Amino acid sequence: MIGIIDYGAGNISSVIHACGRVGEDAESFSEPSLAVGYDRLILPGVGSFRMAMEQLNDLGWPEAIGAHVKSCKPLLGICLGMQLLFDEGDEDGPTLGLGFISGKVGILQTKASHRIPHVGWNSLNSTQTHPIMEGVKDHIDFYFVHSYQCVPVSDENVLARCDYGGKFVASVAKGSVVGMQFHPEKSQPAGLRILQNFAEWDGQC
Amino acid sequence: MLEKIPVLKCCTKCNLPETYETIEFDIKGVCNICRSAEARDDNTDWGERKKLLDALIEKHRGKAAYDLIIPFSGGKDSTFQLLYLMREYKIKPLVVRFNHGFMRDTIAENNLRTFKKLGVDVIEFQPNWHVVKKLMLESFKRKTDFCWHCHTGIYSYPLRVALMYQVPLVFWGEAQADITGYYDHLNDEIEYEDDKKFNMIRTLGITAEDMHDMINTPEDPVDVRDLTPYTFPPVKDLMKMRYCSVPLGSFIPWDYKNNTEEIKRELGWKADQLEGVPDELNPHGEKIECFMQGTRDYIKFIKRGYSRVSQISAFDVRSGRLSTEDAVKLGAEFDGQKPPSLEIFLEYMGLTEEEFNTIVKPMAIPPYDHKFDAKGDAVKTWDFDKFYREDNRPK
Repeated sequence: MIGIIDYGAGNISSVIHACGRVGEDAESFSEPSLAVGYDRLILPGVGSFRMAMEQLNDLGWPEAIGAHVKSCKPLLGICLGMQLLFDEGDEDGPTLGLGFISGKVGILQTKASHRIPHVGWNSLNSTQTHPIMEGVKDHIDFYFVHSYQCVPVSDENVLARCDYGGKFVASVAKGSVVGMQFHPEKSQPAGLRILQNFAEWDGQC
Repeated sequence: MLEKIPVLKCCTKCNLPETYETIEFDIKGVCNICRSAEARDDNTDWGERKKLLDALIEKHRGKAAYDLIIPFSGGKDSTFQLLYLMREYKIKPLVVRFNHGFMRDTIAENNLRTFKKLGVDVIEFQPNWHVVKKLMLESFKRKTDFCWHCHTGIYSYPLRVALMYQVPLVFWGEAQADITGYYDHLNDEIEYEDDKKFNMIRTLGITAEDMHDMINTPEDPVDVRDLTPYTFPPVKDLMKMRYCSVPLGSFIPWDYKNNTEEIKRELGWKADQLEGVPDELNPHGEKIECFMQGTRDYIKFIKRGYSRVSQISAFDVRSGRLSTEDAVKLGAEFDGQKPPSLEIFLEYMGLTEEEFNTIVKPMAIPPYDHKFDAKGDAVKTWDFDKFYREDNRPK
């Protein structure tokens, strides 16, 4: 069973539905103490970095998610959920993140000709192999909706980049934590494959 | 004034016309299906594919009640896939047959012989004939294709059995890429018989839920459960057991002529006459498992201006067994004759021939414009008088 963290800022039903498409039971839960009962957690997210972190902090999520990660169980952050994995974000003012991956989150750096937010289908250029990307061909399109980008300190954490008037980090991994700036649950067969890989991944890499 | 007969643009190689489903022509006038076949023959590493097949079989061997499910019509393709997999891999399959309701005697004999010679468990499902008739009439009126129950049933029912027995591996026969352009051989990919393919090709664009709404009337109600055999099983349940539903034709080159020779030699499989096709053109027994096939092919001719003879010839041209010139001659001579089985179909459906023509003609694919009564009648097959009759026409 995959647990989907419900902290009031999420695209939860589409994630549950997509997990079902790959044969995985998933459910949302809103009580941090229940996190220990799940082998895998998904951190979704829609909205601003600051608001999301305030909600997570108010409800006591960082400790519960931290304990999950500490025991090397897989955690997948999607979209804003990926951004929250970092040390700090500056959307609506500087805010501390969950700090699982070193780096910051800032406004998308792109050409003036490219509108923000970046909305639509765009292809990935993978920088390293990882169990979560198994069977996903390079240059396949995924669905993005975001205005901010993650800037990891180390390239070692980068799984793939995407080009939108400049390259940005589209996918990251560190230990049992992975993040996708795009929405795998809305990205057709390739996105479903990532969710299936996540469901089969033991958190080791 | 003489009426101009539109000439169909045809593939300069296999002679299939522009009215063929999914066809496109390149600058040399050769169709995409021929080009895909060339790519298959030139680029596919069949040695690698065979290793994939080996691995797939070994991954599933001995893990469930059966090693795999083999959906089976009893025609040349499914008989070969059963023979090949049992002979090459000594696997324990469960054969599943969805009986469309029009099985012919030769096929019944072939199947019994095959099952006994190979020693295999078999499940046959025969759906409610009252519901089948309603489905036939509805899909005929809406799509001029009365075979919705068969298209959907033969693909969904075996997967339902796979779920019941929790057998994740399901092996089908030829690859779709060998027949149409919905799939092709250009990207070196394995085809999957999944919900995507089911919804794109098998349902004719009509889901079982929609079909129920169409045929369930106050005067003649239909239980929603009667549509279950035609409904693709829940994807979540299939994925949960990590199902793998693939055509054998994605793993070994599908040479239907050689395949037929093998099943004739090893299983005593017999070909049969096919309505509207001269015997000498069909020694490998294409499409002999259904006694409605002649009517189906006749509808195709009214709509598209080509039919079974042209399709068989196209395969022969692609495999280098027939010249393009001969394919053109054969199609022109034999395709489009009216089949005797049409009468049986009209009786089942309670339609007159005029009503039949009125339904089919407006669905013709331009520029083809059919002229009725131009090609004469096809001869009866030897078993015509054995076919089940039921006259539902108003008296």
